[in-house]
Amino acid sequence: MKELDLKIEDISELILNRAEHRIEEALLYALVSTQSRKDEIEISSFPVAVMMVASTTDKLMKRRYALAEAKRSYNLLREEKNKSKILEITSAFNWKIRPVDDKPPYEFALFFTEYLRSATRFQAKGWKLVNRVVLNGEVYLTKDDTVRLLQEEVRVHIEKKLDVKEKVALPQNVADRVERLKQAFTKQKGKIKMEGFPKEVVVSAFPPCIKHMYDGITSGHHLSHIGRFALTSFLTNIGMTTEEVINLYRSLSDFKERLTRYQVEHIAGARGSRTKYIPPRCDTLRTHGVCTGMDEICRGIRHPLAYYREKMRTIKAEVPVERA
Amino acid sequence: MKEIETKKFVKNKFSEYYQDHSSSIQPPTLIEKREFGFLMFKGRVMVRHKSLKNVDDLAKSLKTLVPSDAYYSSAYYERPEEKMEEKSWLGADLIFDIDADHIPTPCAKIHDTWVCNNCGIAGKGVLPEKCPACGEPRFNEKTWPCEVCLESAKTETLKLMDMLKQDFGFSSKETNLYFSGHRGYHLHVESEEVQSLDSMARKEIVDYIIGIGLETKLHGLVEEKEERKAGILTGPNLEEPGWSGRIARGTYEFLLTATPSDLEEIRLKRKVIDTLIQRKETILETWKEKGPWGIIKGVGTASWRKIAQHGAEMQSAKIDTVVTTDTRRLIRLNNTLHGKTGLKKIEVPVTGFESFDPFKSAIAFKEGTLKIIVQDAPKFRLGDQTYGPYKNRQVELPTAAALLLLCKGRAKVKEEK
Repeated sequence: MKELDLKIEDISELILNRAEHRIEEALLYALVSTQSRKDEIEISSFPVAVMMVASTTDKLMKRRYALAEAKRSYNLLREEKNKSKILEITSAFNWKIRPVDDKPPYEFALFFTEYLRSATRFQAKGWKLVNRVVLNGEVYLTKDDTVRLLQEEVRVHIEKKLDVKEKVALPQNVADRVERLKQAFTKQKGKIKMEGFPKEVVVSAFPPCIKHMYDGITSGHHLSHIGRFALTSFLTNIGMTTEEVINLYRSLSDFKERLTRYQVEHIAGARGSRTKYIPPRCDTLRTHGVCTGMDEICRGIRHPLAYYREKMRTIKAEVPVERA
Repeated sequence: MKEIETKKFVKNKFSEYYQDHSSSIQPPTLIEKREFGFLMFKGRVMVRHKSLKNVDDLAKSLKTLVPSDAYYSSAYYERPEEKMEEKSWLGADLIFDIDADHIPTPCAKIHDTWVCNNCGIAGKGVLPEKCPACGEPRFNEKTWPCEVCLESAKTETLKLMDMLKQDFGFSSKETNLYFSGHRGYHLHVESEEVQSLDSMARKEIVDYIIGIGLETKLHGLVEEKEERKAGILTGPNLEEPGWSGRIARGTYEFLLTATPSDLEEIRLKRKVIDTLIQRKETILETWKEKGPWGIIKGVGTASWRKIAQHGAEMQSAKIDTVVTTDTRRLIRLNNTLHGKTGLKKIEVPVTGFESFDPFKSAIAFKEGTLKIIVQDAPKFRLGDQTYGPYKNRQVELPTAAALLLLCKGRAKVKEEK
C-alpha cells in the first residue's frame, strides 16, 4: 500500500469494486478470473483485497482466498512463453534456479531443498523426489512443474500476508463490503457440512494399518515406537478415552502404567505442550513401514483419520433404516 | 562375580580411558547450540538437556560423569538446556544411520541369540514374533558386531554415498562418515542448505534413498502401442543419472545373477522364468549392444515391470528411516566409547572407505590383558588376531577383546584372590 502511495480513504470505487469481486469469486468459486482492462485497477485492487480479507479472523476464508489468487498466478504464468519472465518471479522468492536448454522436456533446474519446500505438500506420485530427475543437487523441471511450484510459493506468501495479528481498522464503506462477503461465504460454508466423529468407537471402520496394530496389541504383540504413536493418536482422535487406550496396552508384558499413562496423556494433549497430536499421514506411515498395504478406500485418502470418516459413511449407508 | 560388579569394572575402564584421552575428544560444530545427553552406567538413565560451552567443558563432563554412551543433538538450539518445547529449534544436520540391524544377513543365525524373558527358552537368529514355547513377545536379545554384518552395512553405505554425491551434489567437505562403534555407520551432512529442512522434506530424502514410492513408469519404463501391433517396451538407459539409470543398472545386474528361485520370489510366472533363464545370455547381449528393454518373446511388460522394480530395490540403500526424519535426534559423539562394545565411534576417511577395517581402527584400549570368564562367544577378530569361539571358559585376552565380551554381556571378570 505504501509503495503505491494509496490512502485507504482515497481508494476509488472502481478499485474497491474490483477488490470485492476478486474476493467474491475466490470464496464462491475458488478462482479469480476476469481482469479489469485497466492495469492500475488490476494491480492496486490486489493489496486492497488482501487488506479486506486480512481484516477478518476467518482462517478458512483466508486460505480460500490465498489459494484462488495463487491459482490465478499459475494460470497467467502457464501461458508465459518467456523463460526469463518466470525466472524473474522465482528470484522474488530467492529460488536457486537456472534455465536448462539441453535436456528437453526440462526447462529449469531447481536446487533440491527449495523443490522440497513446496513439493512435499503435493500428493501426486510424480512429485515424489524419487520419481524425479535429480542430478548434482538439482531437480529438473518442465515449465509447467516450475509454474506449479511457484503457485504453491505464492499461496504460502499470500497466506502469510493475510495472517496479521493486530486488528485492521477499515473505513465504514469498506467494512460494509467485507461484512457482505463474510455473509455470502458463511452461506456457502453451510453447504460444506463438517462432520465430526461419532461418540462410539467403530473398530470395523479402522484402516488396515490401525486394525493390524490394534489386533496385535490386544494379543500382546510388540509394537514399534512410531506404531504406538500412530495407534494412540488415532484412538484419542476418534474419541477413545485416555483410560481406554491405557487399558489396551495393559496386555503387553512390558506394560508400565505410569509410563504409558504419561505418554498417552501427552499425545492426547492433556500434558506438556498441550498439543493434541494427530496420527502421521499415510505416506509417513509408509516410510516407516507401518502401512500394511492399501485397500480400496486407502487409494482415495491420504490420512488414517480420513479413512475412518470415509468408512463410517459407507457403514452408515449400509445400515438399513429400521424406523418406518 | 555379580553383574553389578562387571558394570563397575567396565565403568572404571571407561573412566581411565577418558582421563587419558580427553584431548582426543572432538567437539561438534557450534557446540554451544547443541544439546548433550549422557547415558549413565547406573540405572541406565539418560542425563540430557545439557548445554556445554566448549570442548573443555565436554572433556570435563566425560571425565566426571563417565557415561556408558555420550550423545549430542543433530539439532542446533537457541537454548539447548531448556525443556524440548522451549529450546527454540534453529536447524539440524542431516544424519543417516546404517545399522546391520536393518539388513538381514545370513550370519545372524550364527551369532545373534535371544532368550525369552518369560520362560527362559533360548534360540538363535532373528527374533521370533512370539516365544515358540510360551507365546510371550518379550526377549533379551544379544547381537554381535561381526565382519559379515559390517561388510553388508558398508555396501549399503557406499550406495548411500553415491546418491548423496551424484544425485544430491554434496561435496566430500560437507559429508562426514563415521563407524558407530557397534554395528554400523553414520553419515553426517553439515551444510547450511540442509539445516532448515523440515521433517517432511527429510522424509522425502529418506524415500529417495530407500526407493519408497518409486514408479518405474515415471522413469520412462513404458509400453508404446501402435494400432494392431505388439507393444514396444522402452525405458531408461544404463548411463542415465539418478533413479532412471539405477533402474536400468539394477535390472541388468539382477538378470545377471538371478536364480530361478530369485525370480520365483518376485512372483513371475513359471513360463517367464524358464524363458529368462534359458535366454539369459541373449538378453544380456542385446542389452549391451542395442540398449536395454529389447523385446523378448514370452516376457511381457508386466513381468519386466516386476523385474525392474526388484532391480531398483537392490540399488536402494537400507538406511534407518527414523534417525534421518527426526530433526531433534541425539547422535553418538565422535571419539567416545560405545557402551555395548568398548570400541569408539571414529571418523572414516571417505576415500579409503572400501579398505577401512572397523575392527582395527576403532580399538580404544590398546594396552594390557584381562582375565575373564566367557559364557558364550562366537569366533571373532579384533586387530590382527582372531579369538574364540568360547563356551564357559576362563581366558586371558588383550584388554579390547576382553572389554568387548564384557560390554556385550558374554563374559564376567575373573575375581582376583
